[in-house]
Amino acid sequence: MAGIEARFRLDWDGFTLDVDLTLPGRGVTAIFGPSGSGKTTLLRCIAGLERAPQGLLTVNDEVWQSADRWLPTHKRPLGYVFQEASLFPHLTVLGNLRYGMKRSTGTQQVSLDQTIELLGIRPLLNRKPDLLSGGERQRVSIARALAVNPSLLLMDEPLAALDLKRKQEILPYLERLHDELKIPVLYVTHSPDEVARLADDIVAMEGGRVMANGPLAQTLARLDLPIRLGEDVGAVVDATVGMIDEPWHLARVDFPGGSLWTQDHGFPIGRKIRVRVLARDVSLAREPLGDTSIQNVLRGRVDAIAADEHPALTLVRVRVGDALLVARLTKRAAAGLDVALGKDVWVQVKTVALLD
Amino acid sequence: MPLSSGDLQAIWLTVRLASVVTIILLLIGTPIAWWLARTRTWWKGPVAAVVGLPLVLPPSVLGFYLLLAMGPNGPVGHLTQLLGIASLPFTFWGLVVASVFYSLPFMVQPLQTAFEAVGDRPLEVAAALRASPLDAFFTVAVPLALPGFLAASTLTFAHTVGEFGVVLMIGGNLPGVTRVASVQIYDHVQALEYTQAHELAAVMLAFSFCVLLALYTWRSGPKKGA
Amino acid sequence: MNARRLAEPRRFLSAAATMMLLFTQPRHVAARDLGNILLEKGAEKLSIAAAADLKFAMDQIVTSFKDANPGAEVDVIYGSSGNFNAQIQEGAPYDLFFSADIAFPRELAKNGFASTEVRPYALGRIVLWSAIADATRMTLASLTDPKITHIAIANPKHAPYGKRAEEALRASGLWEKVESKLVYGENIAQTAQLVQTGNAQVGIIALALALNPELAGKGGYWLIPDNLHEPLEQGYIITKRATDNALAKRFAEHMSGKSARTVMTKYGFVLPSESADKQGDSD
Repeated sequence: MAGIEARFRLDWDGFTLDVDLTLPGRGVTAIFGPSGSGKTTLLRCIAGLERAPQGLLTVNDEVWQSADRWLPTHKRPLGYVFQEASLFPHLTVLGNLRYGMKRSTGTQQVSLDQTIELLGIRPLLNRKPDLLSGGERQRVSIARALAVNPSLLLMDEPLAALDLKRKQEILPYLERLHDELKIPVLYVTHSPDEVARLADDIVAMEGGRVMANGPLAQTLARLDLPIRLGEDVGAVVDATVGMIDEPWHLARVDFPGGSLWTQDHGFPIGRKIRVRVLARDVSLAREPLGDTSIQNVLRGRVDAIAADEHPALTLVRVRVGDALLVARLTKRAAAGLDVALGKDVWVQVKTVALLD
Repeated sequence: MPLSSGDLQAIWLTVRLASVVTIILLLIGTPIAWWLARTRTWWKGPVAAVVGLPLVLPPSVLGFYLLLAMGPNGPVGHLTQLLGIASLPFTFWGLVVASVFYSLPFMVQPLQTAFEAVGDRPLEVAAALRASPLDAFFTVAVPLALPGFLAASTLTFAHTVGEFGVVLMIGGNLPGVTRVASVQIYDHVQALEYTQAHELAAVMLAFSFCVLLALYTWRSGPKKGA
Repeated sequence: MNARRLAEPRRFLSAAATMMLLFTQPRHVAARDLGNILLEKGAEKLSIAAAADLKFAMDQIVTSFKDANPGAEVDVIYGSSGNFNAQIQEGAPYDLFFSADIAFPRELAKNGFASTEVRPYALGRIVLWSAIADATRMTLASLTDPKITHIAIANPKHAPYGKRAEEALRASGLWEKVESKLVYGENIAQTAQLVQTGNAQVGIIALALALNPELAGKGGYWLIPDNLHEPLEQGYIITKRATDNALAKRFAEHMSGKSARTVMTKYGFVLPSESADKQGDSD
């Protein structure tokens, strides 16, 4: 998949969307930002539900919108999952699924049966939407979007309208989707949790503009515009479960260049997992400390330094093998340690959060 | 309750007129209602006002102007002459044309409301599921607006059955052609034939009541089920 | 009522009197008294129901009556004689009823709704009239012309002019030939409308209407011989309701006066004692 090139400018009363971006043609790209940042509008422009006057949109080398071309939504090979399920009330679940199927062309990438299994909706097939719970409806709506054999899946805050319990219920399905589908996904959300768990790439938006755009770990570790995925700046590391220390209930996750110990949550060895390390949980040292409670001590090289919000603080990015970790220090401490670009340091990580 | 053959003829004519008018208005009124429900241009206001005019015009006024328009010196009259067809007053089809004008808002307004209630979202969903706008209209908008269709059709039918002023003006009271039930009742009263007037009126009342009863029962029925 | 009002004893007293009247007397009487009080004098009021074809004639007569009786209030309502007949029997508030067909006031008198005997005021005549052809050159036989596709007459079932039109057509042996071309108006005025708008090429209407300036300007007429139909006696009564209305009696007198008779004749309402065939041709 060659990717997506999108350029839109929309001027509405009190809101302007102004984006110019390139998105990868594979994996899950999260479009992240607070409400009002324009993420849904961007998604709708890509879908063709909004028409920016001079927009440009190329998807996989096919021009969907340009100065002399406009491909209407129903001709675009996409699937769209709306924030509030929006199932057709006059059809059963199966009727909803079939609606798109009947109208799609080409060979099904994922068969209907597979989709039904993937989302666990077989017992619901003959029911009408008004008898389903919120979580069930959302799963059906995802299945319905997949049933049209899309080359691109657009999801607009699919979990926003659900309570915590339902969210937890569906996230695993989404993760399975992520793992099993080869279809690229654009996933709009304001939830840091969803981004951290699902995204391969991230587009961070604010006030109708794109703040940052790139692979997740890299973009999160950018110090020039610290993207706050929630309360604090942090890094994300993709790792694999390498070892389990049963007596102490700990698990070791490995990534190229290092390992981190974390609580054992029952994941088997070999399982791919993502971990999150907040800047405030990372400290630096010139020499490894001897007796300390901190279990995770790694060696790395400083590759970026930037100011933090408060004038007393600074953020330091350290490369440990393939991973990037971010530490927050006072400037005084950094000066005391002679922290500088290219310098080797020891990184101490107090807390590692497993994302799953 | 023996109704005269003239009365029966009038009833049958009325039913025919109301049916034809309802069908024609379904065909004409649906696109108008759809456009009114979805458009955002400033034309919406004026068009809606024109559509609603027959609601506030006295029927005899409307009838009088239709009489002028359809006559040999009026625009419609000229058109019929040009097309080589018989002029419209005093004919069944003349009544149909007049009733289509007169009952237009009764078809368009409930439909417009029903379409507005459907909203944008189902149609966006349909588009995202590969349905063309026309496809989406028939497979999503219409099923969701079905109660509106029923209400509009019933109101149009009932309104046409009750039509009097307009028919009086342009019908010419020809038995079997333009002498509808309302005119027949009026004639009975004018000729002091009160018994016949009562009988025919009772039949029309019972008929209208049954139609409305069926409609309102149907509407509250299926909602209780799935 | 505020203090200022109370300070005007006369107003207060008359308001109080009104209240007392309303609450101590049967309502319709009280209402009338109230009406009189509000008008501040015992003003005279008259409500006249008149057949549609009398419009121009009656308007003029009422004007001359009001000149002779300053302060009198006269309302004329024009419509179908049959309607008025039914309404008066149901208590409609008319003081005089001028009917296009004498049968109606006769029935009202028989049923006790009249306070006077039925007085004839004219003998109705029917004419052929057209807005698009020259009716003065026509006769009844002209109606069979294939170029004439619609002939308007009033509904014979209940309109007196319509009945006479049918009689005339039958008497001249034309009924079978022209019946399929007939279209029916609900009353004579509406019938004239069908012809005036050109939808019916010709119609049989009242002479009084053809003489009406509105129609006279659009086309001429041909007087249908009165031996072809039953006479259309037109008469009026003072209703029982107006038994004590002095104004009503004065109006009736005015109707037989010279000025009123001149107007009536001018508009084609001629009494048998007067010469009927001054205008138009006959036979």
